[in-house]
This record gives sequence, C-alpha cells and structure tokens, in this order.
Amino acid sequence: MAEARADATPGGDAHATLLAQAAVAIVLIVAWESAGRAFGHAWTSLPSLIAVRLGEWAASGLARHAAVTLFEITGGLALGASSGIVLGLVLGRTVTLSVVLRPFIVGLYSVPIVTLAPLLILWFGLDMMPKIVLVALSTFFLLFFNTFAGVQAIDRDLVEALRIMGASPREEFARVILPGAVAWIVSGLKIAVPYAFAAAVTGELLAARDGIGSLLAAAAAQFDMTGLYAALVVLMALGTLASALATRAERWLLRWRPAAQ
Amino acid sequence: MRMLDVRPRSIAPAAAAASNRVRLDAVSKSFTVRGTHTPALQETTLAIEDGAFVSLVGPSGCGKSTVLNLVAGLLTPSSGVLTYDGAPLSGLNRRVGYMTQKDTLLPWRTTEANIAAPLELACRAVPRREVAERVRAMIDAVGLRGFEKHFPAELSGGMRKRVALARTLIYEPETLLMDEPFGALDAQLKLLMHDQLQRLTQARRMTVLFVTHDLAEAIALSDRVLVMSARPGRIRRAQDIGLPRPRDVFRVRFSPEFGRLHEALWEELKDEVAKGTDV
Amino acid sequence: MSSAATSLDATGAPPSPRAWLRTPWGLAVVRIAILAAILAAWEAASGRIVSKYWASSPSAIAARLWSWIRDGSLWPHLSSTLIEMGAGYAIGCVAGVGVGLLLGFLPRAGRIAMPFLAGLYCLPKVALAPLFVILLGIDLASKIALVAISVFFIILYSTLDGIRDVDRDLVQAMRLMGATRREVSLRVLIPGCLRWVFTGMRIAIRYAFTAAVLGEVIAANRGVGYLVEAYAGQYNSTGVFAAVLVLVVCSLGLSEVLTRWEASAAEKRGGM
Repeated sequence: MAEARADATPGGDAHATLLAQAAVAIVLIVAWESAGRAFGHAWTSLPSLIAVRLGEWAASGLARHAAVTLFEITGGLALGASSGIVLGLVLGRTVTLSVVLRPFIVGLYSVPIVTLAPLLILWFGLDMMPKIVLVALSTFFLLFFNTFAGVQAIDRDLVEALRIMGASPREEFARVILPGAVAWIVSGLKIAVPYAFAAAVTGELLAARDGIGSLLAAAAAQFDMTGLYAALVVLMALGTLASALATRAERWLLRWRPAAQ
Repeated sequence: MRMLDVRPRSIAPAAAAASNRVRLDAVSKSFTVRGTHTPALQETTLAIEDGAFVSLVGPSGCGKSTVLNLVAGLLTPSSGVLTYDGAPLSGLNRRVGYMTQKDTLLPWRTTEANIAAPLELACRAVPRREVAERVRAMIDAVGLRGFEKHFPAELSGGMRKRVALARTLIYEPETLLMDEPFGALDAQLKLLMHDQLQRLTQARRMTVLFVTHDLAEAIALSDRVLVMSARPGRIRRAQDIGLPRPRDVFRVRFSPEFGRLHEALWEELKDEVAKGTDV
Repeated sequence: MSSAATSLDATGAPPSPRAWLRTPWGLAVVRIAILAAILAAWEAASGRIVSKYWASSPSAIAARLWSWIRDGSLWPHLSSTLIEMGAGYAIGCVAGVGVGLLLGFLPRAGRIAMPFLAGLYCLPKVALAPLFVILLGIDLASKIALVAISVFFIILYSTLDGIRDVDRDLVQAMRLMGATRREVSLRVLIPGCLRWVFTGMRIAIRYAFTAAVLGEVIAANRGVGYLVEAYAGQYNSTGVFAAVLVLVVCSLGLSEVLTRWEASAAEKRGGM
C-alpha cells in the first residue's frame, strides 16, 4: 500500500523529522522570548519567566498538587468504570431490561456531565469529593456503553463452541463473554482517560484549594499570566503522559487483536 | 420418502441397532426465514454405528452441515426422530466434538491456551500438569511446534484449522463431527492431517461423521461414504469402503480398489454437483 | 437457535408479557410509567426525606422553568449559548479543514507538526477557558474561542484521517494518467476525504455544545451554563435544576437531530 521511495530510508526519514521538530521548537521558543522582550509581555509572558516559575513550583508543592489531581482522576475512574462495567455486563445479557431502559440512559448520556459540576459542588462541597464524583459520572457512561456493546458483540459461535465442549453457563461467562467484552472495556478506559482528566480539571477550576486546576484558577484570578501559562504547561505534560500510558497499556493488553483495519 | 438402510450387511440387525451411535429416522429439516420456507434436508434415514468413520459428500448447500448441526443438538429436526446412543437429544449434545467450518478459536488466547481450553473445564477436571503435557503432545501432532504463544490473528488460515483440530481432539470425545476441516490446507499438509486423524480416531475408537467436498479424502479416510444430492438434500448413495485398516493415507489412493470406488462414486456425485445452485 | 418472535408463537398461545413489552405501545407505556414513578418519588421525598434545599422538587423546578419561559428571561441566555456554539463551530470547522488540508498536502510538514498538535490536544480544552476570559473578556468572545478550538481539533484530525484514507493507488493511478498535483488534489483527495470531514463535523457539534456550556460555567455573564453556575453560587438548587433541565432538553434535541442526520447519511452511503 505504501509507496516505496527509492531515495529515502525509513530510519533516515524519522531522524530528519525529529531534528526538524527540535528545530521548530527551539525557533518558536526563541521567537517568543525575543518578541516578548521587544514588544512587552504583559499578556504573553516569557518562556524564561515560565521556566523560572515552574522551577519554583517544583521545589514547593507541585508534586502535591499533581498528586491530588491524579488521585481525583484515578479515584473517579475506578468508581465510574467499575459501576459502568458491572451495569454493562448485567444489561448486556438481559435484552428486555436494556431495551426498556435505553432511552433513559441515552438521554442521561447526552447531557454533558461536566456541566453539572456546579450542582455537584453544591452537594458535596469543595474538596475532592465532587471532583471524584464528576470524573466517575463522566467515565460511567463511557464504560457502560462500551461494556454493553462488548457483551452484545460476542460471537455466538464462540459461546456455542465452548458449550459443546462441555462448558457450564458460568464457564461460558468467565471464559468467553467476559474476556470478549474486555477488549471493549479496555478501549473504553483508554477513551475515558482524557474525559476524566478534563472533568477533574473542571471541578478544580470551579472550586478547589488543591490540584493543578486550582493553581490555574488562582493564577487567573490574580491575572498572573506567567503562573497561568506555567499551569497550562503542567497540564499539557500530565495530559500527554496519561494519554501515552493509556495508549501503551491498551496496545499491550489487546495485543491479540488482528492488525488489519 | 425413501428409506435407505445403510447398515453394513455383515452385522445382524438387532445387534446393529444396539450399537448405533447415531441414528436418524426420517429426519427432515427446513428453515422458515421471514415467511419463506426453505427445506434444507429431505426425509433422511441413516445409522452410524459405534466406532465407524462415515463421510458425507455432496455439492454445496446439500444439507451436509445441517446433518452435523442436528447431531450436535444445535438444531432440532422438523420431522422424524434423531437418536444418539438410543435416546433422543435434549438440547446441546456435549458428547461430541464439533469442528466447524468457521474456526471458533478464542482470539485472546494463544495457541496453547486455546488447545487447553476443553481440558480446563470443570466437567473434566484435568490436573494442571497433565493439561500441559497433553497440549504439548497435541501441538506436536498437528505440527505447530514453535507457534505455542501465537495468537490466532498471527496464524494463517491453515494453522488456525490445525489449532481447532487439536482443540477438538484433545479431549477425545466419543463422537467427532467435522465440517470440511482440511479444505484450506495444502496437499502435503492435508495428507499429514489425514494420517494424524486416522491414528487418533482408530486408536480411541471414535465415531466420526466427516463432511467434505473432496471425494478422494472421503474414500481414503472412511469406512462408509454417503453421497448426498443437491438441495434439498437426501442420501443418494451409500458405499461401504472395504479398504483394509490401518490405512497408509499416503499410498492408499494408488490402489486399484481406490480407483474403482472413486470412479463409481464420482459418477453419482458429478450429477449432483452440476445440479447444485451455488458452487 | 430461536427464530424471531411472531405475534403468535408456534403453539398458538397469546403473547407473553415479554413479547408485549417489545411492541412500541408496550415500551412507551412502561417507560412513561418508570419516569412517572421516579418523579413521584422525588416529589414525595423532597421536604420529607431529603431537604428541599439540596434536592428541590419536580413541581418547584417546573414552576421556575415555566416562569422563565413566560417572562422571557430564558431566551437571552439560550440564544447566547447558541450563538457561541454556532460562531465557534463555524470558525473551528473552517480552520480545521484548512489546516488539515494544508498538512495533508505537505506530508513532511504534517509529520513535523504531529507531536506539537498531539501535545496541544492532550491539554483539556477547559483549561484554556480562564486564559480566553482574560484575553477576550467575559462576554461571548471568550466562549466562541473555546468552542472554536475544541471543534478545530476534531475537524483537523478528521480531515487528516480522511486524506490518509484516500487510496494511494488511486492517487498513483491519476498521476500516471498525467494529472498534475493540483488536479489530483481537486479530483481525488478532496472528494475522498469529504466523508470523514462530514463525520467529524457531526461529532463536533456535540463538543461545541459542551464547550459553550462549560465556558459559561467557568466564567460568563450570560448563557445557560452561566445560569447553572450562578444559581449554584446562590445555593438555589431549584434554579440549578431548572437550568439543567433546559440543558437536558437541548441535549436531547441535539442528539435527536444528529441521530436522524447520521441515519440519513448512512442511507445515502448505501448503509455502509
């Protein structure tokens, strides 16, 4: 499918790309710094200032804030994912119940959960609880739908094959249906990670004393542009890390999947 | 309605009835899809006795797979009576091993895990170490050494078939149902599989119902070949295969007796193939 | 292997309760019953088991919403949200397709840009809300920017997927026929990636809605999201629920429209 280019080796190409990317990054940073120094940096801050602030943060408490945010994310993921998976497994098998409840669930799902953040803060206060619940709600629906689809998508022939071999209904579930749904569950988890991250940050922006989002909110409240950009950098780094981990994990867990598209 | 008695003449009728593993009495099967009535199998009577290797040959769509599904208990007869070991089936028949056309390997398990699957089930309770040994032996038998840790998606079609075969044979069911298991294999591999299949089924005295397009394969492997007609199917001819056992599958097709059987059965078969609507 | 259910089963017996449940009437009745039961329970619990303060009650919420509609105070907020959605969506689509095509036609530039874009994409867009408010003010502009950037990424990736999906063999065949680069772009690449672009555009509508409301929740002086946050700030749960109800209705309407659109698009494609 791919055209063979006689003049380029795969290794050489990747190398050149990497160099170009590094060059672009350096150029952008240098341009930002010089333009800021020349024309004023009230709104845009300077890379050097941001770096200094990041250094200050790293020395005093950045780790703690990051830990709080991560705890909210993982706690909410665990809560939301587990309930979503359980409900998905249950409803996936009982056709009647799922048909009846479908419009309710789809209706609830169509409301952007993060926009209910103020409501949750009203109920649960200012700590981690509303954030965890927010993350849990966001991930619940995603995992529920994915698990449900996974159970429905199980090839009946596989179940029958095992049944003829002598599997009991419980063994059918444990050895065919559950593992079969796992592929969908894992995909669902991977998709859920960015949503969970966004939900946690949203909660923190609205009301929090701890967490990276709270750093962002505090900087914004004081019109502290340097702090604001620094917080954005941290969030970008966390987001990229989380995304990369999730993708890596999915690839390993589902390495049995056929590569064909 | 044709009554076709396919019991070998050498056995006395009463004794034959007692030792029939599978018996179909005027069994027919038709499907109703969205109001349209499609007959798949005409009223068929046949008996397969304990330990026999019987092949069903016929054009596509003649109902061969339907017969297998009936014996497996996946379908119930529209009319007639199907008995297994003298009793009619109620639900799925767990005493058969069924190797379907479509390989039903669990995609998330490696080769060895797939082959081990039947032995892990509670109804057999095989100790862990024995499972590992038997799986290893099976993998060697089907020639998949070196591919133990591969996933089905990483194996070719022929290799997946071999895994499915290993999985079906490993728990030594008393009856084996096979639906064109070797169609995707190349000629040499096919012969090797024939050899293995024959060894195992003869050693364990398994009853085998084998469906295939390949007449030569059928004759080489079986004690009896049943030629089926085009849809809706019925048994057109039953032929005992007198070739002596144990057979050398590599050489048997060169014997003159083989040639005669092949010619005779091909005469029957080719009319039906010409009639068959789909190829 | 069971056959499909018919109105009378094989033995001629009347339909079981299960079968009745499958009919459109049966389903509707059961669902309405469930909804009514939930609302009734809520109404009963409010003031007795749960404090009205936290949970409000369906009657109070309905009354509040009705008063909003009657005195017209809802419309400025609703229209504000919709304008933010529309304007941001348009900008995001144009930018997304533009940059997508650009990077698609210059594959080397695309490869270089990918990690930068991916890094930006990993940033939760909501984190940009305070920045936009500081730079663009608390009015609609900051929300439009938020919507635009959310939509931008969706459309960008859809466009790139679409260009990548275009069969390389097709491009090669056209080149061999003597087509110039421009002709190839116009006749093969652009039409080929359109399907993906349209799919992306449908998905992006949902994101536009979320971004607009979220932006309002974070910092605004108008809009449905603003209502949610403002009433929450006043500890007025009735107001919050009423505003959320407006959100739910809008969401459902949006979903319905999108589903119909999706279905008709699938039909036109030949049900792929």
